[in-house]
Amino acid sequence: MIDFSRVQKELQDCERNQDSSGIRVCPKADNLTRLTGTIPGPIGTPYEGGTFQIDITMPEGYPFEPPKMQFSTKVWHPNISSQSGAICLDILKDQWSPALTLKTALVSIQALLSSPEPKDPQDAVVAEQYMKNYQVFVSTARYWTETFAKNSSLEEKVRKLVEMGFGDAQVRSAIESSGGDENLALEKLCSG
Amino acid sequence: MISDSITNASATSAPSARDFGKKKRTNRSAKLKQSKLGLRREQWLSQVAMINKGDKEEMDSNRRIGSEKPDQRDRLVENLDGQRREEDNNGTHRHESFIESLSNSPNSILSGMNSIPNFSSSSSSGSGGSCSGNITEEEDADDDGCLDDWEAIADALAADDEKHEKQNPPESCEEHGDIKQLAYPRDLISGSDVVAKADCPRTMSRKQKSNQAWRPDDKLRPQGLPNLEKQRSFPVMNLHFNSVTVPSSCPICYEDLDLTDSNFLPCPCGFRLCLFCHKTICDGDGRCPGCRKPYERNTIKVEASVQGGGLTIRLARSSSMFCRILVECKSNRNFLVEFGAFAQPIVLMFGG
Repeated sequence: MIDFSRVQKELQDCERNQDSSGIRVCPKADNLTRLTGTIPGPIGTPYEGGTFQIDITMPEGYPFEPPKMQFSTKVWHPNISSQSGAICLDILKDQWSPALTLKTALVSIQALLSSPEPKDPQDAVVAEQYMKNYQVFVSTARYWTETFAKNSSLEEKVRKLVEMGFGDAQVRSAIESSGGDENLALEKLCSG
Repeated sequence: MISDSITNASATSAPSARDFGKKKRTNRSAKLKQSKLGLRREQWLSQVAMINKGDKEEMDSNRRIGSEKPDQRDRLVENLDGQRREEDNNGTHRHESFIESLSNSPNSILSGMNSIPNFSSSSSSGSGGSCSGNITEEEDADDDGCLDDWEAIADALAADDEKHEKQNPPESCEEHGDIKQLAYPRDLISGSDVVAKADCPRTMSRKQKSNQAWRPDDKLRPQGLPNLEKQRSFPVMNLHFNSVTVPSSCPICYEDLDLTDSNFLPCPCGFRLCLFCHKTICDGDGRCPGCRKPYERNTIKVEASVQGGGLTIRLARSSSMFCRILVECKSNRNFLVEFGAFAQPIVLMFGG
């Protein structure tokens, strides 16, 4: 049984110092079993300026079991799956402690973004790139941050795609049909 | 050599000191203790005068002092020893340390040997603290010629006293009195620069270094000396125990901790939680949320209840907590601790 009173208090606590930490936790539904965490990309990393969303699923045994967390925003990071967004972090597995909270877990994830562990990778391709060609890794990660982790407005997306040579109306419908995803819209436009 | 200089110095300073002392005595309303001390002092001064009658006699007395020295020192130490045993049951370490401090300042021993009668009688009166205070007043006005040295020595004494205060618990002020009394006759003798210079710089430099007799990392620190850091940390632990630093709510379930919970310390890391959460954890992987180390296999259960102002702590199946609780209870003194280990419960009482 989830300790809902604790989750409730955690959410309140998170809300109280949301401005200083930049970390937010919002419930997806009313039952507090599914939440969305938001962390800003750490300054001085390729993730700077991005806002990363994390899906949180509360297990039955919370807080004695770790919350299930994975990125819903695409991230280029050795310890985060570029496909599924799964996170390789010990405190979300065997090193979880009931004394940790959703917020401390999100802070840990933020710290993971600034200090990758390529020797214990989640995404082997990214880890290999990180080890062998660091500069390429940095630029890829920055590109992914720019592309996926920045909430640009609809007009900006339209402007970008129009600059690529597509028609304005065509771009707008493509963005709308792809649910606001710029890249998906681009794919649609390209495939015609 | 030191004893030589002492007697020479006292030869010059003693007569004037006596005159001033007499004047002072007529002026002052004589309290009982003061007059007693005055008499003692006069006795002592007359002894000095006897010594100073002639050069030959002086040499003789020097020799005598020299020959008496070890014997007197033993007596002095015995006196102190006896007293300390009365006051302190488990003070063997402290006793050692005191002797050590005496032998570190040979002047006090030299002076002590002249004032043995003085010392023993005053200790029998049992109010050394106030006596020494009176002496200070009286003698501050006594010797104008030695004023500078007095100041220097007073500083040195202050350092000395601080040293002793650091070593001794505050309640043993009787001891301080005795120490002072030991020290003051020394100062009468050491009106000369020689002794003062021999004594002061060392004590002063020690004072400047730190006000402690021995710092914990001091090489000269005797092995037998009790660990003062530990003693001083008792009040802190006491505070810790009295739920000053205890969180008001369980960090796991965020519910308020009751008295039982707040006295429940399941892990040496100091992480506190309520009994419910502890049970849940023990049913699972059994690791402390604070340090991630597994809880001791013998689950520690502490029950505390307030009974007539005293706190009763009940420990069940505890082994690792033994020392910790022991220490904490020592600091509180009034606690009755029951160790319900395995078969026979052991009851330990700490008298207040």
